[in-house]
Amino acid sequence: MTTFTLVSMAVALLGAMLAVGLSNILYAIFGLGLSLLGVAGVFFALGSPFVAAMQLLIYVGGITVAMVFAVMLSLALGAKPTARPNPWRRLGALIPVGIFAGAVGMGLRSEGLDATVLDVSTAIPIAEMGMALLQEFNLVFETLSVVLLLAIVGAVTIAQRPPEEEA
Amino acid sequence: MNLEVLVMFSLLLFSIGLYGVVIRRNLIAVLIGVELMLNAASINFMAFGALHASDPTMGPIFVLFIIGLAAAEVAIALSIVLSVYRQRRAIRVEQLTELKG
Repeated sequence: MTTFTLVSMAVALLGAMLAVGLSNILYAIFGLGLSLLGVAGVFFALGSPFVAAMQLLIYVGGITVAMVFAVMLSLALGAKPTARPNPWRRLGALIPVGIFAGAVGMGLRSEGLDATVLDVSTAIPIAEMGMALLQEFNLVFETLSVVLLLAIVGAVTIAQRPPEEEA
Repeated sequence: MNLEVLVMFSLLLFSIGLYGVVIRRNLIAVLIGVELMLNAASINFMAFGALHASDPTMGPIFVLFIIGLAAAEVAIALSIVLSVYRQRRAIRVEQLTELKG
């Protein structure tokens, strides 16, 4: 476990907490970007620089920016929250999530994963991944293309103004 | 690299995302929580792909698939956010009662 991995994990967790905790939605999106950056670092440490680069390009560069645009189009940024949230709500959400995390964590600990050490010294060659995408996993590749095309068409259709508004 | 640390990290990230989905009332904030949960799942796929898969490219390709699907999901969700905002000038979850859910 190198220092780089640990720092990446810390950045990812810190960013996630900021993304969930900050009430200003724009700052929350920046926290999400920080968290995704940390996850990209973990991917890099796991021996897959290509996936780390894709994470940076698509998530940090694309999805975060798209969210910022959605906020700019839909919210008055300076607007204060209208009502003070009930303080018991945080506790009410924390209890079930804590039970879930504790139960799953104890189950995982009893699996004895501690003894397993991953060998990530050699990076997966990008050429090999490209060949796999066009041969063995060609169906995955094509399915993803169709899904993305449908998502674009669907997004345009949903976000379109109704015809009578256009006039 | 120790597998247990990775799995615990992924569990923590997933739990934070789940907490965000439960507690936030803004549609975009709920979407942020979902993204965190998807990332936690990706880390698990990478870790166990490096451990078990006969083909070392299997884990990264699955993660690429998840990233692509997340991009599609965000595009659809944000267009729904815009559409909802146009109709009711608000994107708080509890105001979306059209379907009487």
